[in-house]
Amino acid sequence: MTDALDPITLEILRNSLRSITDEAYIALTKAAYSTNIKERRDHSIALTDAKGRLVVQSENSLPIHLASMLGMMEQLMEKYGEEDMVEGDIFVANDPYVAGGTHLPDVNLAMPAFVDGKLLGFVCNIAHHADIGGMTPGSMAGGMSEIYQEGLRIPLVRLFRGGELVQDIFDLLLLNVRVPNERRGDYFAQVAACRLGARRLGEMAQRYEPAMLADAFAAIMDRTEARLRDSIRDVPDGSYEFTDLLDNDGMGTVDIPISVRVDVSGENIAFDFAGTGAQMKGNFNMTFNAAQSAVYYVLKAMLDPDLPNNHGLIRSVEISAPLGTLVNAVHPAAVAGRANTSQRVVDVLIGALAQALPEQAVGAANGANVTAVFFGHDPRHDRTYLYLETLGGGFGGRFTKDGKDGVQVHITNTSNLPVEAIEAEYPLLVESYGLIEDSGGAGKYRGGMGIRRVVRPIGHEAVFSGMGERFAHRPWGIFGGQPGETGRFSIQGPSHNDETLPDKPNHVPFGPDDAVVIETPGAGGYGDPAERSEDALAADYRGGKFSAAYLRKHYGFEPPAD
Amino acid sequence: MSWIIGVDVGGTFTDFHVYDDESGELRLHKTPSTPDNPARAVLNGINELASGELDLARVGRLSHGTTVATNALIQRRGGKVALLVTEGFRDLLEIGRQIRPHMFSFQQDHPTPLVPRERRFEAAERILYDGSVHRPLDQGAIDRAVDQVRDSGADCLAICLIFGFINPDHERQLRQALQAALPDLRISISSEVQPEFREYERLSTTVLNSYLQPIMGSYLGEFEDELTKLMPNANLGINQSAGGLMTPERARQLPIRTALSGPAAGVVGAIDAARAADLANVITLDMGGTSADVCLIRDFEADVAYDRWIEGYPVRLASVDVNAVGAGGGSIAWFERDGLMKVGPQSAGAVPGPACYGQGGTEPTVSDANLVLGRLSPRGLLGGGMALDVAAGRASLAPAAERLGMSIERTAHGVLGIVAANMVRAIRTISVERGHDPRDFVLLPFGGAGPLHAVDVARALGISRMLIPAAPGILCARGLVVSDLREGFVISRVTPLVPETMADIAANLTDLRQRAETWFDRTEIGVDDRQTMYSLDMRYIGQNYELQVDLDNGEAQQPDLAVLAEKFFAAHERNYGYHNPDDPVEVVNLRVTAVGHLARPGDGAAPGSAGAGAAVAEYERPVWFDGEAPLDTPIYDRAKLAPGQALAGPAVIEQLDATTVLGPGDKCHVDDTGNLIVELAND
Repeated sequence: MTDALDPITLEILRNSLRSITDEAYIALTKAAYSTNIKERRDHSIALTDAKGRLVVQSENSLPIHLASMLGMMEQLMEKYGEEDMVEGDIFVANDPYVAGGTHLPDVNLAMPAFVDGKLLGFVCNIAHHADIGGMTPGSMAGGMSEIYQEGLRIPLVRLFRGGELVQDIFDLLLLNVRVPNERRGDYFAQVAACRLGARRLGEMAQRYEPAMLADAFAAIMDRTEARLRDSIRDVPDGSYEFTDLLDNDGMGTVDIPISVRVDVSGENIAFDFAGTGAQMKGNFNMTFNAAQSAVYYVLKAMLDPDLPNNHGLIRSVEISAPLGTLVNAVHPAAVAGRANTSQRVVDVLIGALAQALPEQAVGAANGANVTAVFFGHDPRHDRTYLYLETLGGGFGGRFTKDGKDGVQVHITNTSNLPVEAIEAEYPLLVESYGLIEDSGGAGKYRGGMGIRRVVRPIGHEAVFSGMGERFAHRPWGIFGGQPGETGRFSIQGPSHNDETLPDKPNHVPFGPDDAVVIETPGAGGYGDPAERSEDALAADYRGGKFSAAYLRKHYGFEPPAD
Repeated sequence: MSWIIGVDVGGTFTDFHVYDDESGELRLHKTPSTPDNPARAVLNGINELASGELDLARVGRLSHGTTVATNALIQRRGGKVALLVTEGFRDLLEIGRQIRPHMFSFQQDHPTPLVPRERRFEAAERILYDGSVHRPLDQGAIDRAVDQVRDSGADCLAICLIFGFINPDHERQLRQALQAALPDLRISISSEVQPEFREYERLSTTVLNSYLQPIMGSYLGEFEDELTKLMPNANLGINQSAGGLMTPERARQLPIRTALSGPAAGVVGAIDAARAADLANVITLDMGGTSADVCLIRDFEADVAYDRWIEGYPVRLASVDVNAVGAGGGSIAWFERDGLMKVGPQSAGAVPGPACYGQGGTEPTVSDANLVLGRLSPRGLLGGGMALDVAAGRASLAPAAERLGMSIERTAHGVLGIVAANMVRAIRTISVERGHDPRDFVLLPFGGAGPLHAVDVARALGISRMLIPAAPGILCARGLVVSDLREGFVISRVTPLVPETMADIAANLTDLRQRAETWFDRTEIGVDDRQTMYSLDMRYIGQNYELQVDLDNGEAQQPDLAVLAEKFFAAHERNYGYHNPDDPVEVVNLRVTAVGHLARPGDGAAPGSAGAGAAVAEYERPVWFDGEAPLDTPIYDRAKLAPGQALAGPAVIEQLDATTVLGPGDKCHVDDTGNLIVELAND
């Protein structure tokens, strides 16, 4: 433990460092072109020390970006090292296999910050570009089976050398993506965020001396490590295992096991994914650092949600996964849809830790990042449109309360598009948007409910594509809680007759007489349904979230006579 | 005529700023608040003023800032609301934007919807994006709605239909039928509460409004009756969240407009003080017992924001754009799990209050730190009548000091450093992150605790100048006295900015102008006192968020495509650091704000006679400006400082409602209107 700085001075320094990452975060949000960055906030900022160890991450960062930054910095220190860097250099990378990325649309930048010629640290950022090339627009569709189909692979290279743009590299990057003008804007937004961060860090170093900042970096990591190890000590020692099955990879492989064993001993915790299935043909594989991100997310959520994201967290946890499995895929596995798999890995981790931390555990959530894509030609404006949405579902039942209904879960938290925005922009009618009756698993505290959305094209033929998980395997309950309902895609209408679609449907045509019905999974309950209170059952019935038949079957509840 | 009275109800005190617009006489008054029925404190204060020989028959206006709505929300004491929505959208209120409030927390939830599912009903009807009727509202649907609402036992009703803001026919038909069948039911419809695009935010706002209608109705009913008896000639104005007053009738219809009005009055008062000192660009720092509000003012105007949260519920509503941080005099210092010290957002509140209040508090607060360092007087606020207990303050800080291995003074100094850092962050958010350099602004601290901390905050931001108004502790009441009548009108139509739509935009602006004129006529505002302000919410096609673009009268009367585009580009450049002149742009909302100027005081009252030269200190006491050693510091009585007088830091200036601290080397003088103008020493 570094004790050079007292807890007051350190708090003030950390506050200033957070101001820097937050300011750079806003700058990137505002200057970017990609909708993913501007609206969905799929980006993050980090400061590292001179060895590339993460010190501070911006407040709103997504969990999956944590390990991605870490992966890039490790590669950077290995490939270049301090002696090879000069002021004004900016490095760029995205490749999951040689540059620590998690999927290709996430482009990482890192800029060394020097003070008086001495390396103080790095300012890094990650941003999800709307397109990174490859076989489909947007670079995110299912049906891709190797990384080469998913877009341009950028190893770790210099985008700026001593403050000068390396034009050759930039030309190469832009030639390989759709709408290069917009991507140029995204790159410059990332560059601006790096430079702003480096400038602010320099200003801070003038105010406080570089050596004091270096001490602060070390102390911040030490304190986070101590804080986390303190929490781990409260976890009962033991070995905890859990396995669940991924529905499928959309290309023929089904029921792929995800397994983890967690070993807790004193202040140490280790995760081993041995037993997890082999990497798949479809693009739902994860690289190792995506699996690490899932572990860090679960640890924070179950032990200490406000734990700062920095290297102190990372170095306190041991993680291993056999090479060539879907949580540690090797080249050339396809990975674009890794977010769906991450959701399932999170459930498995919670399932294992539930045995040790019953009060912090929750039932399985909707386990997916259900995606619906509508594509067609808008007769109103004579133009082609593409409307993509990810829908939430159930969040698992909890120790003291029901799960949440109709929310984005775990590693994702992006908002929906208003119905009035959808209908003003696209020739679609959203007929309904609500919770699905009886979809939350029964329990003392029931699981959250899935969402049903019904969409009909107006005056034209459209095509529907989608991506779902937990459409086959129900989200399990814990400690006696019952599973929630699976999700489903279907079409209602004369030509389709309430036909169930595949869970990863691709280009399904439908017309104004048909409506696409998207139903997302619910979530598992917590505890024995027999212990559910009469008041809660009466409310379930009164509000109509659950039918009388369901309540009778699962709880033996008799509705009051009116 | 006449006296103008501004009354601001705070958690502890109800403040009065009373001004005679004939003689220029100013009276300030405070009376303890009565939280169970806030009106009683207002009436108490008025009676106290009357016994101080204020002729109540000569009171022409009483401007009132009320916390009734805010408190009702905090305590969940609103009405029993029923809700009518378009068929298929019963759960919209619950799903909202489908996001969680905390990324990493399994436990944190958005608050429970204010209308339980069994009182949420669906009407078979549907309007489309262009206002056309896709599915008509038939009599059967109306009858069903009447039955359902009646059977629910609700005392108020919110109606919010998809695209009801474009075509309000169905909302109005439902209201008419329901009002006829249930005459006592209070009804809020979305096309009147906030007729704007985006169904969930409009719905949430309409529901909140409905929820607050019963309590606001009964509060204002009683209040007006009493007031009429006491002050037969006074008009009552109710403060709203955007700054500016509305009639009590309007407040009963739209109580949600008062829910964020607390900070607005202070900002209006701050603008008045800044205007008197001729300082157009200021950043306000309003620090009270539990929190600090900061606001950026350019050219004597505060920005207006539309998307806000109240008690965890989103609202779409014009409000002064303040950023709040949990940093006040009562904020508690504590240790995070990693051993770092934090201050706030937990507060000791009014009860038990800081340890030094001697009312049973034991945890160390910001006020305890200020007292231990000699910044607050052990005698308490001048005229406050409440001595502060230094020993209790020291005792509260002792455990932290021991844990840190520091002296109590150094610990206290650290507490103040952390609280200043928190406020600095809040100010950076409203300045640097929106393209403004705080060094170009004057810091204007107010509230009981603002002037205590302002020099630390200003120095950390590189701000070189401060303005401390005459009565910083009751600036909100002053803001009420100088508030005008205000009303907003909006038309929400997504319209591409192309030559073919300019006629539509012009027609909509004309429509808005006429609505504003009708309102002026009805409120009997003289022609010379009418002001209309126009703005458009614009964005690039494909964006999800709009930027506000202000138009002057000429631009609004004859809108020109090139001018509108240029103004949008400039706004985009300022906010986002770039613009693309080739990308298509659209207008989402068109707005008019109508301001009816009311008689207002002149440039504030000059306290005492003009003096010159150095101010004379009352006495000296040791004050700590770092954690090492105190300085013998002159203490001044602000009431004795005359315009033109100057003094230099280190200094503490005490007055009835606030304490100002100046660091070594800071220079200060009193301007003609009684403001303190401080020039900060450079580091």
